[in-house]
Amino acid sequence: MIEVEDLVKHYRASSGGIVRAVDGVSFAVNPGEMVGLLGANGAGKTTTLRMLATLLAPTSGTARVGGCDVATDPVGARRRLGYVSATTGVPDRLSAREILHSFGALHGLRGDALEARVDQLIDVLDLGTCADRPAGRLSSGQRQRVSVGRALVHDPPSLVLDEPTNALDVLGARDLLAFLADLRSSGRAILLSSHRLHEIENRCDRFVVIHGGRVVAKGTREAFVGKAGGLEEAFFAAIAGARAE
Amino acid sequence: MTGQTPPPARAPDQLAPLPSPAPLPSPAPLPSLAPLPALAPLPALAAIVAVARFQINRLLTPHRLALAAIGAAFPTAVLLAATKARGSALDTDLGAILLYGLVPEAICMLGLLVTMCPVVADELERGTWVHIAVRPGGRRALLLGTWLAAVLWTGAVAIFALLLALSVGVIENGLILLGPFSVLVCLSCIGRAALFSLPAVIIPKRALVASVGVALVVEYLAGLIPAVVNQLTVSLRLRTLLVRFMDWRQNMPIELQLLVDDRPPWAQVGAVLILAVVFLAVAVAILEWRQFPPSEES
Repeated sequence: MIEVEDLVKHYRASSGGIVRAVDGVSFAVNPGEMVGLLGANGAGKTTTLRMLATLLAPTSGTARVGGCDVATDPVGARRRLGYVSATTGVPDRLSAREILHSFGALHGLRGDALEARVDQLIDVLDLGTCADRPAGRLSSGQRQRVSVGRALVHDPPSLVLDEPTNALDVLGARDLLAFLADLRSSGRAILLSSHRLHEIENRCDRFVVIHGGRVVAKGTREAFVGKAGGLEEAFFAAIAGARAE
Repeated sequence: MTGQTPPPARAPDQLAPLPSPAPLPSPAPLPSLAPLPALAPLPALAAIVAVARFQINRLLTPHRLALAAIGAAFPTAVLLAATKARGSALDTDLGAILLYGLVPEAICMLGLLVTMCPVVADELERGTWVHIAVRPGGRRALLLGTWLAAVLWTGAVAIFALLLALSVGVIENGLILLGPFSVLVCLSCIGRAALFSLPAVIIPKRALVASVGVALVVEYLAGLIPAVVNQLTVSLRLRTLLVRFMDWRQNMPIELQLLVDDRPPWAQVGAVLILAVVFLAVAVAILEWRQFPPSEES
């Protein structure tokens, strides 16, 4: 489970002022649920996800992953979280197998258990034909699948994905989202940010819209999308409402 | 210009209609991911070793191996040139001075600048920072694992350079230098990799320039000032150990004796280890405290 309560992140700008990147965001993602985090560029999505991943310290408020507070028990939170970023950050020279091995070892997997886990991820993510090829020679879709495998290597109950389909073509994005739906069915809590609303409209159970660091709308798919006629329309309406205030 | 007239454009209605596209295939059902048994908490040392293995794996590229080979051959080339200029083999003392400047100083410094300085900047630029820092060992394992990888990589290149230089037989009784110089290489790598970790975490994007400055100002300038400040340098300890190993102290002019420390070798080794622990502890504390907003990754 992922819980965010009144989360705030302020930066000191180079001009000396304070940038309120995230300003009192609250939401939750239950096990077996996929929640879409939506917002324009600079809305505070990535900063929120980075705080959940313990990569940025909250200025105030709380964020918990699997019951572990990211500020007081960051190691516990990291053990329960898989993180996928928009930029895959896959080392070009290493193969998918080597990358999954290395990151499995970073979670304490060893020997046969590590081998079995890597083989299973290669199979599940359909990387069999390219598992031993340097990652620099993989397609964008294959690299993103390696990135997803790296996030799942320790079998985390919660998954945070920051614009995972950005570099993917239609087929690659659809395969990845189908895979995420499968992970949700297995009881994982999935928080997903994306600008490609049409892709996630029918995949997410709930949506949270952020604008200017604040939550301006949230609700179940039926409640949020239903009235507006589509996710894109609902998103525009939420942003327009926030701008008008 | 070719002078040829372009073919007349075809009107859209002249294009033959395409057959209706086949519908996109439905995604094939993916096999399910079996759950893992609960993982035990990872000991801190295991996390550091895991990061070090990952970093060494990344260092093992043909390009870096070729650079390491050239670097390792450099001291031998200099010693051969010096021998040719003299017309005879180098005596042990002169050989030791040259070898000291070339291996524990030059090779180790250069190797550590390349491997230790980019510990944060490289990860941020390549987008790997978030993926390593989000593991249970976090930033501490990233810094200490990279430090370990830098020490092992640079140490291996420097020891190889030492073996190569001593094996060509241009220094009289050169093999007696192997043991003491191996110790100097290890201490140089341990201490200076820790020293370079400070600019790497304080000013990641200028870490290389800052580390060169630290090397020049702290190690070579402050290290040669006979005052309290030189007690905090690795170069003082290495110089002192060299003088001890070579038994030069009695024959040194009094002004040169000011450039080395009086305490015994074990105290010099202990001082380097303490300095390394302090530098690394400060670097870890800074790195744990620093915030890298998404905008800093580019």
